[in-house]
Amino acid sequence: MRNLIIFLRRYFNFFLFLLLEVICFVFVFRNNNFQRTVYLNSSNGMSGKLYARYNDVQYYFHLKATNDSLVKENLRLHGELASSFDVRDTTAFIKLDTLRKYSNDTMRKLLSTEVRKFLYREAKVINNSVNREINTITIRRGSKDGIRPNMGVIGPNGVVGVVRSVSENYAVVISMLYKSSGATTGSNFGFSAKLRSSGEIGTVYWNGRNAAIGQMRDVPRSAKLHKGDTVITSGFSAVFPENMAIGYIDTFYLSDKSSTSYDIRVKFATNFYNLQYVYVIENLLRDEQTRLEDSTRNLLK
Amino acid sequence: MSVLLKNIIRFVLLILFQVLVLDQILIHQLVNPYLYMLFILLLPFNLPRPALQLLGFLLGITLDMFSDTMGIHAAACVFIAYLRPFVLNILSPQGGFEVTQRTPSVTSMGLSQFAIYVSVLVLLHNIAYFCLSVFSFADPLYLLMKILLSTAASLVLVLIYELLFFSRK
Repeated sequence: MRNLIIFLRRYFNFFLFLLLEVICFVFVFRNNNFQRTVYLNSSNGMSGKLYARYNDVQYYFHLKATNDSLVKENLRLHGELASSFDVRDTTAFIKLDTLRKYSNDTMRKLLSTEVRKFLYREAKVINNSVNREINTITIRRGSKDGIRPNMGVIGPNGVVGVVRSVSENYAVVISMLYKSSGATTGSNFGFSAKLRSSGEIGTVYWNGRNAAIGQMRDVPRSAKLHKGDTVITSGFSAVFPENMAIGYIDTFYLSDKSSTSYDIRVKFATNFYNLQYVYVIENLLRDEQTRLEDSTRNLLK
Repeated sequence: MSVLLKNIIRFVLLILFQVLVLDQILIHQLVNPYLYMLFILLLPFNLPRPALQLLGFLLGITLDMFSDTMGIHAAACVFIAYLRPFVLNILSPQGGFEVTQRTPSVTSMGLSQFAIYVSVLVLLHNIAYFCLSVFSFADPLYLLMKILLSTAASLVLVLIYELLFFSRK
């Protein structure tokens, strides 16, 4: 026993070192289990407040660029207004309104009614990174405003990411810039996508190199591709609506002669370098869809 | 100014500088400059080693809170805080450094000794940090370039820091 105590005292520093490193590693790997560490990331009160303060100053210098992008987006939205329905002022509360479609002749007969499926909420970006392996965006909207994990996030031009963890006033979004490992299988963070012109389905990843370029995989060799074609969301995931722009085809090639699918370089539609405002998408019918899918899966077991 | 107060101010300023300035600058995907570990390098010689490691842990976890990299910075900081006495031992002349100067600096260690001391520990910090954050050896060249270029950027920042806050006393 005495020897043991002497041993421990002699190597006390080393054991302290091991202990601290083990604590660090537990943190690192717990990070995947996000609820437990939500208070120790940038959505907690202290650092969230500091970032918000800092962003107030920084925001001033970006007013011109923000204004330009908002004007451009307004223009685009005005163009779609005729085919859209009443989306004014729905950020503050949920209107359970429906879209009624009437026939075009003089009878004005009611053809169908459609229920609102997606609800958009604007959010201010207060912190953003692009040069890490896993890049996150902190936004000034939290559970008080109805943000919940796994909601989709889009920017003025295209898809941005998915909400990861939420506190009262802030939320952390994992952006599309989430480095996937080299293998085509395994747990990768990808976005289900399709090509606008041909409708081929694939998955968009990021390889960790350049924040403007992504990779699209799993597009079969038979697909007809051309440069500049838009890559859009497939709508399979229940996170994003269909036909949201993800990016544009930059180049494409076959990695070797025998491969069955194309490697496509995709230019992201979103400019991750100067994000100022994003929109968080809530799928109001999502619970219903997942419940149905789960129950079917249980039936098949 | 007392050593304690000086170090507290340095802790706060380095964290703020790292979070508000360096993390906002984007030079290149391969160049992520870090300066905050200078706090560990400039702690007094006679600080007990457990205290050194605990301070390293505190520094790392503080930065982790801001950059959403739970535990990665802390692991790298504890790593260099543990190795610091060994590096200092190897570099110290016979009989240790002069006791009039209680903290490592260019004047107390000599220019070449201090330069080696800083470069070795900054390199070790970057190796530990980037190995953990990249977390794959699938692309060793990418990892190596990231470590080396970021270390070079950090060393330039340390040089600027030393030129700014150089004191002969």
